[in-house]
Amino acid sequence: MRAIEVRGLRKSYGNFIALNGINLDVDEGEVFALLGPNGAGKTTLIRILAEGLSYDSGEIRVFGESLSKKTARLIGYAPQESLAYDDLTVRENLEFYADLYDVPGKRVDELIERFKLPAKKKAKELSGGFKKRLNLAVALLYDPRVLVLDEPSTGLDVPSKRELWELIKEFREEGKTVLLATHYMEEAEALADRVAIMNEGQVIAVGTPEELKRLAGNESVIHVEGILRGTEAILREFRAIERENVLRVSVEDARKALPKVVEALVEGGSEIRSIRIEEPSLEDVFLKLTGRGLE
Amino acid sequence: MKARAVKGIVVKDLRETRRDRMAVFWIFVFPLMWVTLLGAIWGGSSPPVVVHVGAVYFNESAPFTASTLIGIMENVSVDGQRIFRITRYPDESAGLKAVKAGRVDVLLLFPQGFGENVSSGLQGKVYAYFDRSDPQKYQIASGVVKGFFSEFEREMAYRKLNITLGYVEAYLPKNLSANLSPSMLRAYMMGLIDPISLREEAVKGERPSPIKFYVTSFIGIQFLFATMLTVSNLLFEEIEKGTLRRIAASPATAWDFLVGKMLSTFIVITASILIGIGYSKAVFKETVFPGPTGWLIIALSAVFSMSLGLAIAMGTRSMKATNALVNLLSMPLLFLAAIVIPESILPRWARPIADYFPLGTAVKDLRLLEIYHRPPSEVFPDVVWIAINSLVMLLIVVLLYNWAIKRLQ
Ligand SMILES: Nc1ncnc2c1ncn2[C@@H]1O[C@H](COP(=O)(O)OP(=O)(O)OP(=O)(O)O)[C@@H](O)[C@H]1O
Ligand SMILES: [Mg+2]
Repeated sequence: MRAIEVRGLRKSYGNFIALNGINLDVDEGEVFALLGPNGAGKTTLIRILAEGLSYDSGEIRVFGESLSKKTARLIGYAPQESLAYDDLTVRENLEFYADLYDVPGKRVDELIERFKLPAKKKAKELSGGFKKRLNLAVALLYDPRVLVLDEPSTGLDVPSKRELWELIKEFREEGKTVLLATHYMEEAEALADRVAIMNEGQVIAVGTPEELKRLAGNESVIHVEGILRGTEAILREFRAIERENVLRVSVEDARKALPKVVEALVEGGSEIRSIRIEEPSLEDVFLKLTGRGLE
Repeated sequence: MKARAVKGIVVKDLRETRRDRMAVFWIFVFPLMWVTLLGAIWGGSSPPVVVHVGAVYFNESAPFTASTLIGIMENVSVDGQRIFRITRYPDESAGLKAVKAGRVDVLLLFPQGFGENVSSGLQGKVYAYFDRSDPQKYQIASGVVKGFFSEFEREMAYRKLNITLGYVEAYLPKNLSANLSPSMLRAYMMGLIDPISLREEAVKGERPSPIKFYVTSFIGIQFLFATMLTVSNLLFEEIEKGTLRRIAASPATAWDFLVGKMLSTFIVITASILIGIGYSKAVFKETVFPGPTGWLIIALSAVFSMSLGLAIAMGTRSMKATNALVNLLSMPLLFLAAIVIPESILPRWARPIADYFPLGTAVKDLRLLEIYHRPPSEVFPDVVWIAINSLVMLLIVVLLYNWAIKRLQ
């Protein structure tokens, strides 16, 4: 069964078109990732689904029904920013939302236990990871069938991120449908059954991570790390992404291209720490489709 | 309306307020500050009047002289407090200089021969120079000085009368006329020197206590400032945190949200008002504790002022602009709506503001009820007026809220 169906969804803020005809199908029980750079329209799409944000045109169905207060109850939403009131304790925060959604008080205890939350700590004393978990707990209060998570791991250190991913995997095992927005390709690759790549208000590709990677053809990627200088020439000649201390160059024939890349870097005065040839990642696919990187 | 959602909002707001040191500080300090300030400045009994008198006179050797009179003046006291503070000057020009410089309120100039004249039963002349630059001060000084002299004159006249009557009784033939007995003569002569005898009797009246007046002022101030600022800050907190969107997306309705916010604010403000009332009792030994009608008026005014605060907040959608606008609106209204001053001293054009601006009406009615002990039926039309205004304001706020929620997205 389709958990979420979106057809021709458009939304603009004034003159600015944030969503330009989105089509999307999320199946029940899958983890579905919206992958896209800043401003792609992920949050806008999610807020239309989960917060009842108004839209201009298009059609949305949740388990076959159009959006309403009733379907709102089927979707649990953890926004990117914290929902917690700083001066209240974890328990008090959950109690507040339980009152708002008219959920029995014992559900609060269940969630505190499940997420191993420090019940008596004030929200402002929580680490980033626990704040995200508290958000998840609020989203799960009324036991929704679909969980919508906006950038669940943004801002977390690696161990907290892994823990959070484990939780999300548990949701899928329980049979919940998860829709998550991210601009980390690792997150999409690690969690998602299927990924929709979004850019400038449109879905430009949908598929499993493997299917998407195949879009990159038989290309491979030269991955260089170090203190890199003289990358301008490479960025001009090849399709490449540069991030802090990392350069990824997508090429047809790695053996031919490698000497050129190394030469340019050495001439620029780079200190190369490591070089390896890799399979393309989702980010390289995004680069191929849009001509730019994700971050 | 979902009672549980409302309860959730109220409990949450109160927990937050209790833990917010600044909020607690203001809830406690605001009343103490205002009540102390108002009570200390205008409250209590007014200080005793003291008139500064400059005196210029000549040394004489008569039995009664200007010096004797000034000596008596110096010793006049009311409730153990001397009224005249006397400074002696050597001559007229020195005395006048002191008047002009404001060092004395009045200069009394006794010409040469004053004592001579008075002692021998003739008229004594006195010149009084008043500083008239401050009309109020002049009125007090001239009233007190003239009062002293007329009292003094009367005393002198009685003494002269007694001496004269002594002679009359001793020398007048006993049967001069059947119609003219010495006792009748005495009565006529008394009528001559003192044609009207004004007798002062103390009556215990309904004295509007200044402290009680300022406790009601304080309640008005709470509506003008604290209520509007508290409720709008509670709203902005939700907007800024992004939780208002969440609440709007939850099953709680606009009414649930607004009723919740208003209840929280009302509880906070009531606590603050009770602190002010109790504090006044503790420090000034006087206070106002409203009866049921009083509390009804307080509750209705709170709804009005919370709605106004929310309307401003949602209209401006900025905490800074709201604070500025609330202050801009409230400062003049403190006076124009007769909240910290009595309506009687308002200029004519401001009277309608005090009569019809609901918070002005409310404070006026609180005074009628709690200070002058008028029956509730007398303020009933006003209560209806306040209720209508509060209701209209509340409806405006619900419309604005729904509009603001859409704009948030
Ligand atoms: N309330 C708003 N008013 C005007 N423009 C908005 C509003 N919200 C979002 N936008 C714009 O719409 C576009 C899409 O924003 P959105 O937040 O949906 O992107 P996103 O994919 O979630 O990006 P990010 O990865 O940064 O979270 C952005 O260009 C943003 O500036
Ligand atoms: Mg976003």
